[in-house]
Amino acid sequence: RAGTAQYSTGVRKVTLIPGHGIGPEITVAVQKIFEAAKVPIEWDEVDVTAVRGPDGKFGIPQRAIDSVNENKIGLKGPLMTPVGKGYRSLNLALRKEFDLYANVRPCKSLDGIKTLYDNVDVVTIRENTEGEYSGIEHEIVDGVVQSIKLITEEASKRVAQFAFQFARDNKRKKVTAVHKANIMRMSDGLFLRCCRDLATQYPDVKFEERYLDTVCLNMVQDPSKFDVLVMPNLYGDIMSDMCSGLVGGLGLTPSGNIGKNGALFESVHGTAPDIAGKDMANPTALLLSAIMMLRHLQLNEHADKVQNACYEVLREGKSLTGDLGGTGKCSEYTNAIISKLN
Amino acid sequence: KLIPVAQYGGRHAVTMLPGGGIGPECMGYVRDIFKYIGAPVDFELVDIDPNVDNDDDVQYAITTIKRNGVGLKGNIETKSEAAYVTSRNVALRNELDMYAYVLNCKSYPGVSTRHKDIDVVIIRQNTEGEYAMLEHESVRGVIESMKVVTASNSERVARFAFEFAKRNGRKKVTTVHKANIMKLSDGLFLETSRRLAEEYPEIEHNDMIIDNCCMQLVARPHQFDVMLMTNLYGSIVSNVVCGLLGGAGLLSGRNYGDHYAVFEPGTRNTGTAIAGKNIANPIAMINASVDMLEHLGHHFHADLIRRAVNKTINVDKVLTPDVGGTASSSEVVNNIMGNIGRC
Ligand SMILES: Nc1ncnc2c1ncn2[C@@H]1O[C@H](COP(=O)(O)OP(=O)(O)OP(=O)(O)O)[C@@H](O)[C@H]1O
Ligand SMILES: Nc1ncnc2c1ncn2[C@@H]1O[C@H](COP(=O)(O)OP(=O)(O)OP(=O)(O)O)[C@@H](O)[C@H]1O
Ligand SMILES: [Mg+2]
Ligand SMILES: [Mg+2]
Repeated sequence: RAGTAQYSTGVRKVTLIPGHGIGPEITVAVQKIFEAAKVPIEWDEVDVTAVRGPDGKFGIPQRAIDSVNENKIGLKGPLMTPVGKGYRSLNLALRKEFDLYANVRPCKSLDGIKTLYDNVDVVTIRENTEGEYSGIEHEIVDGVVQSIKLITEEASKRVAQFAFQFARDNKRKKVTAVHKANIMRMSDGLFLRCCRDLATQYPDVKFEERYLDTVCLNMVQDPSKFDVLVMPNLYGDIMSDMCSGLVGGLGLTPSGNIGKNGALFESVHGTAPDIAGKDMANPTALLLSAIMMLRHLQLNEHADKVQNACYEVLREGKSLTGDLGGTGKCSEYTNAIISKLN
Repeated sequence: KLIPVAQYGGRHAVTMLPGGGIGPECMGYVRDIFKYIGAPVDFELVDIDPNVDNDDDVQYAITTIKRNGVGLKGNIETKSEAAYVTSRNVALRNELDMYAYVLNCKSYPGVSTRHKDIDVVIIRQNTEGEYAMLEHESVRGVIESMKVVTASNSERVARFAFEFAKRNGRKKVTTVHKANIMKLSDGLFLETSRRLAEEYPEIEHNDMIIDNCCMQLVARPHQFDVMLMTNLYGSIVSNVVCGLLGGAGLLSGRNYGDHYAVFEPGTRNTGTAIAGKNIANPIAMINASVDMLEHLGHHFHADLIRRAVNKTINVDKVLTPDVGGTASSSEVVNNIMGNIGRC
């Protein structure tokens, strides 16, 4: 576990990256709720709008890097990434910069959120530093493009280890390695072999291996077949979004990026430009991410307190935001949670 | 018998590749039904041994499909985990240059599912992308796997999708990609489909990132009409949609190139665990055989089977356990045969 900056008062300093689109609104919501819950956190707010570095490339501003390096822990809203052109994803740059190698995305059915699926309770653990996101691409000749998926033993082992340890720590029963080694025989084959290796060190955790497509098929039919899933980068990205669809959408699913040099918690969703600035966004995903962060800091009492208030508001269903079929505004929903805290 | 003998057209020779798992038993049902209705098709059976490490069987299979033009297949297993052995399924598709895969996904009212009335068509690039099978170990423990996207194949499959939409009265094509991350490869695929979309102003075109797409599929599948995507995303989306419609045992998929066509169950599963137990759902393979009859122009026979299948599922509700029934595979097949010519 990464060390965190400690103060004599017991107040933890946490880097806060509001981000773009709906990011600032949902960040304010979380800040208000935490303030009302008297969570002992001091926010160190930084902006990560891409800046042109000395090498001419766009990247994360130094101030943000310094802040995360100092605090070792952060909460982050979504960042905008241009499609098909322009600079590389800043989300990616942050994960690389701090070597946040495991992305943990719990997906759990919530009381009060009616969906077609009940009792979903899966955690996807996604390799977060390589794979299809290596960013190595080139046009060999006109009209022929190659993208390279990079799989290393080191990264595969550490994420596999993380998954098994996570399962053990959280009293989970089973880890499923999700792969496509029938096609990508060397790359996914290596990932799979690393999982098999680690499985032998965790005899208390059940291990199974499944093809990515078969997991997709089975997941939408019966999510209760799965518990903890571990997989390469892209598969984890896709699978976690799909799972969030099962429990009521992107507005609800949190995530944590965990590495040797720190941990960064963020909502799975993007910037949602269509509803940005309209007080319509659902802050739950970021709030639940912040709660994950509190647990990471071992502030479990505060985490429980905020989580109970949030779950109660969801269960009552009175001030839900538009994505959950309600008419509530982001600020109204936030206030409802705050009133439960008192 | 109510069944007229085929008096029109010629008989067709078709390569049959049962593959592993439930393939052989499902092919048996297809043959029974074809025999029963006197379908004018002669199968040339090719077995591929999953345990051998050489590609001789596959090469032979490819030769017969080249001769016959058409194939019906189960999933061919590649047991070996050795890196130099390529997937037989991929080799077959690539060597026959079957660049487009089509999966019609339409809900059966008789199968109880969470979402009703889904009707989407998935069109998938079938010969390159993530399935290029070009991999190497640069240094120990570091592996590169190449995803190859070409302008020419992207254009062929995009044109296929838009032509398909036009000919079948479809309104919208959605290109699925991850061009925010794979800016060049998926970018090329996306750009190409956008360019072709301009030639089809009567068809609406939009695009969606694969992760968001999967979320949208499980939450609001009715927004989709025709979906166009690269190889791996095709595998993912096909399985998600098949899962929504009742599983791996129902739908059939079609591989098309400029010269050859191969028909198979839509999710390309082997079903190793359920093989030989008389519980596998035979419908997916039967539907594949109906697609094949259509392709060969035997519409009469195709229609006979299709109506019998639809009645079995939607009216009689004689279903295998995977779709909520209690019937065995052979009971389903017998029920279909009993319906032939009577509905
Ligand atoms: N917190 C939220 N509250 C309400 N709706 C949301 C929320 N997050 C996402 N959505 C909805 O889901 C849709 C897709 O979300 P998302 O922002 O992740 O993808 P995007 O529009 O591609 O953005 P980006 O390019 O930043 O990834 C949005 O258009 C929005 O309507
Ligand atoms: N025709 C069918 N009828 C009923 N169930 C099926 C059928 N085909 C596949 N399935 C089911 O769909 C799931 C996925 O199929 P399959 O067993 O082929 O998985 P797989 O991951 O490809 O493994 P393997 O290669 O070992 O078969 C399984 O649960 C299987 O039982
Ligand atoms: Mg995503
Ligand atoms: Mg299989």
